[in-house]
Amino acid sequence: MELIDLAGTPEGQRDYVAHLKRLCHAAGVEYATYAASNPLTGTMHAFTTYPDAWKNHYMERGLHNLDPALNAAARSVAPVDWSRLTRAEGFDQVFAESSDFGMPTRGLTVPVRGPLGETGLLCVCASMPQREWQSLKRNIMGDLLTNAVHLHDTVMNSDPLMKTLRKPNLSVREIEILKWIAAGKTQQDVGDILMISHRTVEVHLRSIREKLCTISTPQAVGRAVSLGIVPPG
Amino acid sequence: MILVVDGLNRDRFTSLLDEMFQLRARVFRDRLGWDVQVRDGREIDMFDDLDPAYLLLLDENMNVVGCNRMLQTTGPHMLSDVFDDILCGQPPLRSATVWENTRFCVDTERLKRPGSSKTVSYATCELMVGILEYGRDSGISDVISVIDPLMDRVLKRSDNAPYDYIGQTVQMGKTKAMAALNDCTDERIDRVRRFAGITGEVFLDEDEVADAIAAIESVKHLPMDLQNYCDAQIADATTPQEREAAIALQRTLSDLYSSPARCDA
Repeated sequence: MELIDLAGTPEGQRDYVAHLKRLCHAAGVEYATYAASNPLTGTMHAFTTYPDAWKNHYMERGLHNLDPALNAAARSVAPVDWSRLTRAEGFDQVFAESSDFGMPTRGLTVPVRGPLGETGLLCVCASMPQREWQSLKRNIMGDLLTNAVHLHDTVMNSDPLMKTLRKPNLSVREIEILKWIAAGKTQQDVGDILMISHRTVEVHLRSIREKLCTISTPQAVGRAVSLGIVPPG
Repeated sequence: MILVVDGLNRDRFTSLLDEMFQLRARVFRDRLGWDVQVRDGREIDMFDDLDPAYLLLLDENMNVVGCNRMLQTTGPHMLSDVFDDILCGQPPLRSATVWENTRFCVDTERLKRPGSSKTVSYATCELMVGILEYGRDSGISDVISVIDPLMDRVLKRSDNAPYDYIGQTVQMGKTKAMAALNDCTDERIDRVRRFAGITGEVFLDEDEVADAIAAIESVKHLPMDLQNYCDAQIADATTPQEREAAIALQRTLSDLYSSPARCDA
């Protein structure tokens, strides 16, 4: 699947539900939900592509307080397949009600831990045979993680105070790599120049992109220049 | 074999986690002399409160013979805080697809005892395969591990040499510490598996582990002579059927002794 960019859209015009819909399309799943609470203000952020009937029922019944796909899964480090939640509190009720509404039962929650200890959750779900679901999961897992972190960082950074506290903190090595990339060198070149493995360059670039809350390396360069981290080329 | 314990199932495996904290005290305080907090013989720090994922390497009798701890690098983790010496005060890598691996160790004393079915090298490889496969299956591409030079040598000897190191090697207690990068690619996993001769699944099913622990616990209720009798029956069994029957007998006896109501009746 592709990575879906949020950085290009100005803050006030961001349509997170449309973003989640694009994400569903790219990942090949039916529905997606994102939820997190701002650790400073306690404000809940939640967006979903669920149909209105289920969404309204969910809200009216306060199922978010019970849903193990949010509550139990938030305690995991790894993405949680919903099949792992059968023992968790609330599972029987929430999943019985969701299937009454014809909602898919195969799902995955990606927990994202943020620097202030907060947790953002990206949930995706789909109806399909087990084997197909397993193979879909394998294919999209890595990109889903990157998308989840990008979405979480964007939502958290939309709060001015959070944005200040979460200011990108690049290491000397990351800045060095970014300067060479800005000067037009390829990843291969940079590895050779700095005498480090190409995979090390790749891992650093991934870290750079995520710290600057961007999807692509050219965007990261642009962002770094505008922040004065890298001199304009 | 390896059991994954995290925030979702840690309540089921408190006794194993307790064993793990004791192993960590023996390794990181006693053997490596690191400046770690030990209380009542257990090494526990603030990162253990963050619901990390642990991989527990268990022997046939469900003893913890190895362990590690994994955290996302997007949130609080050790390199962003206590290990900043290694990074020369520089901020750590932050990536959705890179996890941090700390408190990575095996119980060399237990593994070197006569009768141990695994060598230190095999156990380390098995745990490493578990770490890499758990990462890979979770969408993780690379793991950054805080290790000592001895562990580094074991990795290198096991066809599992880190592809790079971040920051510098620093003095820590009686030894040194460094941050090593390993990829979770199939290629590396295959290499380590081939080196150690590990075939098949390395992960244990958590329900089966819970049952096995319950069975071991229940045998503890048996009077010593009955326990010895059952052990002998199981050990002397010459066919799988005999063995099964001996285990069933042990279970029945254990049930009788562990239920006070029935003993009274």
